[in-house]
Amino acid sequence: MRKIQYSNMKFSDLRGFSCFFRHFSLLMWFTIFVCGVFASCFKDEPLNAECDIEAVYVHVDHPEELFFSASDTLVNVLYSDDKVIFRVRRGADLTSLAPRFQITEGARIEPQSGSVQDFSQGPVIYQVTSESGEWNRRYEVSFQVVTRTVNDTVKYDFERFYLKSDKEKYYVWNDLNPDGSEANNWATGNGGFYLVKSKSEPSAYPSTVVEDGVTGYAVKLTTSDTGPLGKLRNMPLAAGNLFIGRFDVQNALTNAMKATQFGLPFDKKPVRLEGYYKYQPGENFQDRDGNILSGVTDKATIYAVLYRNKDAEGRPIVLYGDNVQTSDQVVALAKLKDISATSEWTKFDVAFNYNEEINQEMLENYDYSLTVVFSSSINGDLFEGAIGSTLWVDEVRVVCLKIE
Amino acid sequence: MKVTVLLLFLLVCLEAGASGWGALSDSLTYYGRLGYHIGGTAPIGMPASIRSLSKYDIPANITLALDVYRPLQGRWGLMAGLHFGNKGMETDARVKNYHMEMEQGGESIEGFFTGQVITKVEEWVLTLPIRVAYDLSSRFRLHGGPYVSYVFSHHFSGEAYNGYLRQGDPTGVRIDMGYEPETRGTYDFSSHMRRMQFGVEAGFDWNCYRRWGLAAGVSWGLTGVFKSDFHTIEQTLYPIYGTIGLTYRFK
Repeated sequence: MRKIQYSNMKFSDLRGFSCFFRHFSLLMWFTIFVCGVFASCFKDEPLNAECDIEAVYVHVDHPEELFFSASDTLVNVLYSDDKVIFRVRRGADLTSLAPRFQITEGARIEPQSGSVQDFSQGPVIYQVTSESGEWNRRYEVSFQVVTRTVNDTVKYDFERFYLKSDKEKYYVWNDLNPDGSEANNWATGNGGFYLVKSKSEPSAYPSTVVEDGVTGYAVKLTTSDTGPLGKLRNMPLAAGNLFIGRFDVQNALTNAMKATQFGLPFDKKPVRLEGYYKYQPGENFQDRDGNILSGVTDKATIYAVLYRNKDAEGRPIVLYGDNVQTSDQVVALAKLKDISATSEWTKFDVAFNYNEEINQEMLENYDYSLTVVFSSSINGDLFEGAIGSTLWVDEVRVVCLKIE
Repeated sequence: MKVTVLLLFLLVCLEAGASGWGALSDSLTYYGRLGYHIGGTAPIGMPASIRSLSKYDIPANITLALDVYRPLQGRWGLMAGLHFGNKGMETDARVKNYHMEMEQGGESIEGFFTGQVITKVEEWVLTLPIRVAYDLSSRFRLHGGPYVSYVFSHHFSGEAYNGYLRQGDPTGVRIDMGYEPETRGTYDFSSHMRRMQFGVEAGFDWNCYRRWGLAAGVSWGLTGVFKSDFHTIEQTLYPIYGTIGLTYRFK
């Protein structure tokens, strides 16, 4: 039995109390210290580590001499881009231009924003260094003379492709302009697939290259399982797609419809969309939640859209996944009906259906944009389709109205 | 399930302690404890990448314990015990360039996140503390010493939202995260958590009424909650919890 003196209960009680309070205050301090670890010791805000060019603009006294339209004086730069291209008129003086840059807050740019540079000899390299000084990015800024589309038929043979980078091992298609400069015309959703299945081989991406084309290489688009990360984001599959425009990876996992920016400026009146395809739908059509819908067969889609790329006030307009076929800006649509299974190269040839007359002056000022879209699942933008559905495409032509 | 079994086991121990074991040795006193944990799993010293705490919730963190006390000399004694309980918290913090990784089924996106990060931690822990006790008075006892814990159920998960991740490093691809559930980034690092932990704890017991008393204390983890080869969260996170509760002296 423990020997405790109980002879003076009252005294003992009081002593207990006083001890309790004495030590309670000690403990309080200790508790406050612990709470401090969680709440109060926030350090000074770290300096910004990013170093992006967000937008570039050029101020010139007579923009119409240099650019096709006032809105071309500003280029918004995607975070994934490292090339900034201004589209300028033939004969424009490019020897002394002073682009201004909107960059990450606190970052520095070299050469400085607003400094006069000579762009006539090709791209000028700008380096942006983060506010923290730890990180930097290099950008190529160029003023590309837009060459008129000479031929009445624009050919897309898909023979020029490469891997995006050492890290991002997926195919990118990029045709050359008549003057030899890069057109940066084709985009795919491969950048989004990379985010969820980064270890995939280039041939396992939804948009890839195959050798047995109609001539040379062809494009192979496959509706693919996006794996556990895709499922987690309620994007259980990715249709293989290829389109004229840009893919903004920034929005790929948040607002996929906004990631596909369709179309690039075009200066002819397209009348027919032609080419070759093969199609093999996948076995099990599934909805967005991954439920297999029996009796539903997947379909591919091939279409082209010509649209007005400015609004009434002259502000630039881009059409996205959710409005590229339905927007009021759409001027003409050429769309294949019923793409069913075929194991042989099958020729397609569809007419552009015009909603309104083409304005020749707008055409010459590049106020129309053209996109051509291929997808292995017609509802791939809604993440519905059959995994394994495969669309092969080659030798695509946009036949334009002949100008005498 | 494991939790329930252990809880039952402990209750049985307490029962046994109350009725039978006490008679075995005159020099031992047994205490039962019921307590409530308040604290968190946090780095020692906030990293600059954590900007502010928007929310801090403590779930019902309970501790149920059986302690045995043996007097040594004068006011000194020894206490050992078996403590069982959970340590949990949920925080929502604003971060800047916070290193993180979204992982699911072997696929991952890793990089630096700026925005809001929710962290949910829950550990069910069986702890064996050995403490030196000092009686300030007949009713007031201080105690402190090391402990070893076995974590038999652990959970560490969360979400990144209203912000963006720069993949790989701050120059990498920027991926936006929204507010809606399907636009958030989620992570689960439960499988990277450590099973064995040790640390120190200190506290006091105040015998206030007959066999009943009040107790308060702090347990300070000296091992991080994650295995040492886990580097996604750059700072080592320690379980640091305060406890308040009731004691009951069985004998």
